[in-house]
Amino acid sequence: MNSKNLPKNTSRLDGCTVTGALTVTAFIKDAATIVHGPAGCTHQSSSVFHSTMLYNECFDIPEIFTSGLNENGVIFGGEGMLRDAIEEALTDDYKCIFVVGTCISDTIGDDIDAVCESYDEIPVIPVQTSGFLGGSFERGFISALKSASKLIEPDKINPADAGQSSSFERPENNRPVVNIIGEKNLEYEAESNFSEVKRLINLLGADINVRFVRNIYVDDIKKFADASLNVIREDPTGEIKSHFDNLTNIPSISSYPYGISGTTEFLRLAGKYLKISPARAIEEETENQKEMFSQFEDLKGEKISFDSFGFQKTENSLLGEIAYYAGIVTNPEGTVIPVPFYTPVGTTGVKRTLMQWRRFINA
Amino acid sequence: MKQIALYGKGGIGKSTTSANLSAALSEKSLDILQIGCDPKHDSTRMLMHGEWIPTVLDLVRAKGDANLTVSDVIYTGYNGIRCVEAGGPEPGIGCAGRGIIATFQLLEKLEALYGDVIVYDVLGDVVCGGFAMPMREGYAREVYLVTSGDFMALYAANNICKAIARLSKRAKPCCFLGGVICNSQNIKDEYELVSEFAGRINTKLLGFIPRSQIVRIAEVNKQTVLEYAPDSEQAGIYRQLAETIMKNTPDPAKKPTPLSMDELEKLAQKYITA
Ligand code: SF4
Repeated sequence: MNSKNLPKNTSRLDGCTVTGALTVTAFIKDAATIVHGPAGCTHQSSSVFHSTMLYNECFDIPEIFTSGLNENGVIFGGEGMLRDAIEEALTDDYKCIFVVGTCISDTIGDDIDAVCESYDEIPVIPVQTSGFLGGSFERGFISALKSASKLIEPDKINPADAGQSSSFERPENNRPVVNIIGEKNLEYEAESNFSEVKRLINLLGADINVRFVRNIYVDDIKKFADASLNVIREDPTGEIKSHFDNLTNIPSISSYPYGISGTTEFLRLAGKYLKISPARAIEEETENQKEMFSQFEDLKGEKISFDSFGFQKTENSLLGEIAYYAGIVTNPEGTVIPVPFYTPVGTTGVKRTLMQWRRFINA
Repeated sequence: MKQIALYGKGGIGKSTTSANLSAALSEKSLDILQIGCDPKHDSTRMLMHGEWIPTVLDLVRAKGDANLTVSDVIYTGYNGIRCVEAGGPEPGIGCAGRGIIATFQLLEKLEALYGDVIVYDVLGDVVCGGFAMPMREGYAREVYLVTSGDFMALYAANNICKAIARLSKRAKPCCFLGGVICNSQNIKDEYELVSEFAGRINTKLLGFIPRSQIVRIAEVNKQTVLEYAPDSEQAGIYRQLAETIMKNTPDPAKKPTPLSMDELEKLAQKYITA
């Protein structure tokens, strides 16, 4: 299943590039993020960020810093204020500092890259954002992933033997490992979606290496190149894949698995890249899917229709497929089912979808 | 209160023209405030007998704007003319446009923006919103374009004209094109060229200041021509210009018509080949 038929942006669209960047950098636990701009930009972004996290019952809210650019900074240049903020952060125990630029710092022409380069105690990494100048939330998100990838050990970024030689010890059982890239940290179902992908990877006889970037430490990122496969959460523009292709030569799958055939296809592709025959895993998963559908026998012959309430295209082959396998008829007269904002991931996602449909049908 | 702004390309002699104009106006017993809006801050130097007065932005940088008083920022020069230099940040850093705005807001807060005539001497090759601000916020009511027959000077003048044209589309425009002043560079057919330029942008050539050695001599003596050689022909020319500007009331219905790059080039070529 490719993301073409899917709602393109399942990320939150609120906020500017700064919010997008924070949803990546703030999830590296021992890194600090400084938003270089007026305090309001930090407030604006982090309040979207905080409220979404709280809504997702995540109370472990990261600290985000501001350089507090003021009128003086705007007139005379804000690089000094950024330096002050960086120096303050350096007195803490952070392993890395990210600097996220805003509309204001970009408009007055502060050279964030040059300021960042002048530190070598720990990595001080600029994120190309520039507030509204830089584009949307999604832009900031992608930029931050690219910036964070600078933390991957440089001597491991060797396209020729990526994933082969490694100074890090392989797990004892020597199972191949897989990176997860670009999890949507503000998504309600980030953890359950991850568990589903992990389950499928395990089914093939492989393990998860680095979650890039979700609740990890700077040192975890260093072992990124040990992986034999990258799985990207979603990559509508292809930019994330090509960035990591160029960086490490590790093959990538550009999307989480969606739907029934999508899930088996995911196993087949992952098996191919991991050089593991996927036959047994596919067989097991097909059994699992059958067993799952058997729990929804009661829905056979029911009529449903989809409604997106104007959010996205109602035509959704993925939902049609689920209905088909479950023996449900799609019919304009049928029970109206809202198209989910987030596309269900893997077989478990399909199961959750069917449970939801049942609630609507039996309502 | 008449609020006029002289805009023009850097190096065109805008400051010399402004200072001499202010000096000439002050002879009419008018209360004059001259504000230089150029990071180079040499607008008021001749009025101050060569003294570089501290710029508002330097003072803000050093003391913070809350601690500034009128006497910190306003200096009295020749014939009682009050002088202010806005200044700017270091080149390539920060936003001087925002600095200009901050300066005006500070002067307003200090209740220093008064007098019979306020002369704003504004750099014209920078046309970001900040430098257009004196016109936009109604500080400068009449804009005079200082140019020579030099192509780049005309180009800068034409750009300012574009800014005024934009502002004149507002429902209640408060800034009008007053006319063109030619500060001669001794270019062949310069008078004809600049007159035609003025006509084409829908205004008039109000004054033609010939190049004169006396300007340089006065400058070396750290004075305006009006002070150094009050009886010179050049002093008379500045007085005449002051007279014309005082009498000039731009017609709000007359909108400026800036030239396209093509038209401007053709115009310049016409006088070069002729
Ligand atoms: S859009 Fe610009 S000004 Fe607004 S919060 Fe983002 S960076 Fe700040």
